[in-house]
Amino acid sequence: MTELTTPPRTRAATPEDPATAKPAAPRPGTPSRARRALAFWLGRPGLLLSAALLALVLLAALFPALLTSRDPLAGIPGERLLPPGADHPFGTDQLGRDLYARVVHGSALTLRATGLAVAVGLVAGSLVGLLAGYLGGRADDALMRLADVLLAVPGLLLSLALVTALGFGTVEVAVAVGVTSVAMFARIMRTEVQRVARTPYVEAARAAGVRWYTVLLRHVLPNAAAPVLVYAAVDFGAVVLQVSSLSFLGYGARPPQPEWGALVASGRDYLAPAWWLTTLPGLTIAATVLAANRIARALDGEARETP
Amino acid sequence: MRATRTPARPRTPGDRRRLAVLAAPLLLAVPLTACSAAGSDGQTTGPRSGGRLTFALSSDPTCVDPHQAATNDAMYVTRGIVDSLTDQDPRTGRIVPWLATSWEIAANASRFTFRLRTDATFSDGAPVDAKAVKANFDAVHDLGARSILGSGFLQGYRGTEVVDAHTVEVAFDGPNAQFLQATSTPTLGLLSPASLRRAAEERCAGPLAGSGPFTLAGYTPDTSVELNRRDDYAWGSPLWKSPDAARLEAITFRVVPESGVRSGSLTSGQVDAIAGVAPQDETLLKGQKVSVVGRANPGVPVALSANTASPVAKDPAVRRALQAAVDRDEVVDTVLSSSYRPATSSLAETTDAYRDNSPLLAHDPARARTLLDEAGWRPGADGIRVKDGRPLRLKVILGTNFGPNQSALELIQQQVRKAGIQLDLSVLSIADYQKARGAGDYDLAWGNGTRTDPDILRTAFSSKLLNLSRISDPALQRELDAQAAATDPARRAAHVATAQRRILEQGYQIPVFEMTTVFALSKKVHDITFDASSRLQFHDTWLS
Repeated sequence: MTELTTPPRTRAATPEDPATAKPAAPRPGTPSRARRALAFWLGRPGLLLSAALLALVLLAALFPALLTSRDPLAGIPGERLLPPGADHPFGTDQLGRDLYARVVHGSALTLRATGLAVAVGLVAGSLVGLLAGYLGGRADDALMRLADVLLAVPGLLLSLALVTALGFGTVEVAVAVGVTSVAMFARIMRTEVQRVARTPYVEAARAAGVRWYTVLLRHVLPNAAAPVLVYAAVDFGAVVLQVSSLSFLGYGARPPQPEWGALVASGRDYLAPAWWLTTLPGLTIAATVLAANRIARALDGEARETP
Repeated sequence: MRATRTPARPRTPGDRRRLAVLAAPLLLAVPLTACSAAGSDGQTTGPRSGGRLTFALSSDPTCVDPHQAATNDAMYVTRGIVDSLTDQDPRTGRIVPWLATSWEIAANASRFTFRLRTDATFSDGAPVDAKAVKANFDAVHDLGARSILGSGFLQGYRGTEVVDAHTVEVAFDGPNAQFLQATSTPTLGLLSPASLRRAAEERCAGPLAGSGPFTLAGYTPDTSVELNRRDDYAWGSPLWKSPDAARLEAITFRVVPESGVRSGSLTSGQVDAIAGVAPQDETLLKGQKVSVVGRANPGVPVALSANTASPVAKDPAVRRALQAAVDRDEVVDTVLSSSYRPATSSLAETTDAYRDNSPLLAHDPARARTLLDEAGWRPGADGIRVKDGRPLRLKVILGTNFGPNQSALELIQQQVRKAGIQLDLSVLSIADYQKARGAGDYDLAWGNGTRTDPDILRTAFSSKLLNLSRISDPALQRELDAQAAATDPARRAAHVATAQRRILEQGYQIPVFEMTTVFALSKKVHDITFDASSRLQFHDTWLS
């Protein structure tokens, strides 16, 4: 799904020397830092909501017991297909399991897969980009053509092929999705590395006789990492969607584990008699993706644009 | 000759309705006349020729060769393409003539002589004669395991002898009492010799020439199958309203795997009839202008079949504990609808020689726990029992051909977990499911088998056939062989009864519920009929 996201805007305004990148001290006559932060957040209710939602999802993933006391796997046949109500905020499924508990417990599986997928893309992609950008020449050509090939294959198709080869399960899905975003991370990292490698302080370090890998790790990587990290945030939303797609198709955790995509999939046979089985987990996925994208946009320089 | 065996009697709608009322409690053939009677109110249009029926199937047929077709969805398609030597009356279970006008069975049921009618032809022009029949039986036999059903029907096949142009004699190594009923199934339907000369895989995709009332116009895997009417057809089964050409001009079978989409397609008029109505959609559909019709499938009920070669499932105590831990009533009440019934034996109630064994299948969690305790399976830390360091986990494979499969198994998973048994569900496509069964890569396999003849027990459990359950049980084998050899119905029924008990007591199979074929039809579709095996026959169908 990487093709759905926009790469981070190149920031012409970024200062060349990282030393000057620190926020400027408040000028006299401007409001204090706390008041500016308040104005920033109040002016962006969407961002505020997104942050709150993502915090809630993270809470659900880490401490599901705080949000629900029900067992997501225990069904009470007598309470099947109950519409959303006071007892069951999201209703119950065809076996009488509480859908809210399943969504809450499912967030752990979904977020674990998402986090792993982003990590795979980030680490592998950065490494490829770092080497390609710094070494240049043949190594650059070879690695970037490989990235071209990865980008040429549609992301979902590639991850379907990979997951079929790897086998079914949450970790396998995460790896399959992560591999599809490697190329994008590599591209961004390579561009940044090429820019940083030409800066005077890197040339100075080289001239001083510092070993190449030390230059790479101490001077180039820290200064080239920011856009890649921002892209990781952008990618997060798309990866949630892609992980859910694969789990919807039945490649994720084994039933009855409640992955989000699998919840939508098992509810689709009940579209007519029980709309909540697909709608509520579906809305949860959509809200998480939107929130992640909104936060990613904020990270991508929105704070700097504030007056 | 045909007329003397089954007098063709003109039937009126009222007559048929009365029959339906009589037949319903017995769950035998229910011609789908409820709709035709309702549709004729106010409009006096009778059966009409012409039109195209669009029928939504729940799964891809995967193979349109009748000899290899293994799923019911595939057989709805193949039934129209081929004729059989005999037909079976769904009401009485009696075998009646079709392409064979008469037959003789040698006393020990190992030799069958069929005399064929002389006017039938295949759609490629070849005559239906003794040589063609021989070519067909030889071809099914050569298919071996590729014909899952046919290999059982022709077990011990010695050969077919062409006695004269229209007489054949089929010989078996030993007694084979079920063979006559088998000749009424589409699996032993006749294809033209030219079609049979093509390789088995090629036949799966068509084109094929049979002698049936419809011809195969095209098959696009995962999308649709097209059938066209054969206008010069004149040798229909005596069970049909007329032996002549079908009323429908063409049939389109569309593959629609999502049950909700199928129901929606029907209510919005995009298709005329749908197979595999999901239990949760039945009440909704009944409220709309469509008829929902069901008939219990004879044969082996939907069950967990054990792989007795697997390290855990080979322990009879585990299998018996499963038998007691499953609450069949709860599965039917929760996941299915009133059209379905819990299993009461290793055969469904509509099968010949069925015996009620419900005491063996009572839900008794205490007994399940005792059985496992006695066998040395001790509760582990996470509640799953352990013996010799091996946890009591069983891999269950299931196909996606029946919508409620996964829900039913998730419920069963929850039920047996209380006894300390963990089921790991593995949802597979039909092709992968059959591969996994063949390779033995499972502990329990979820599925059913449809046939009116109790010999389906031999197909499923005999160690001399495919033996997908890897059973080695001389006592059971003796009964299965004996019923195959018995020509006296009473003696055969006695052997079948013993075999049914033995299968349940040994837990080779954990039956859960009886499969029911549930269809829904729009009000303009009339006279789709169930055959004896609860599969569909479209010859008499017409659209108003």
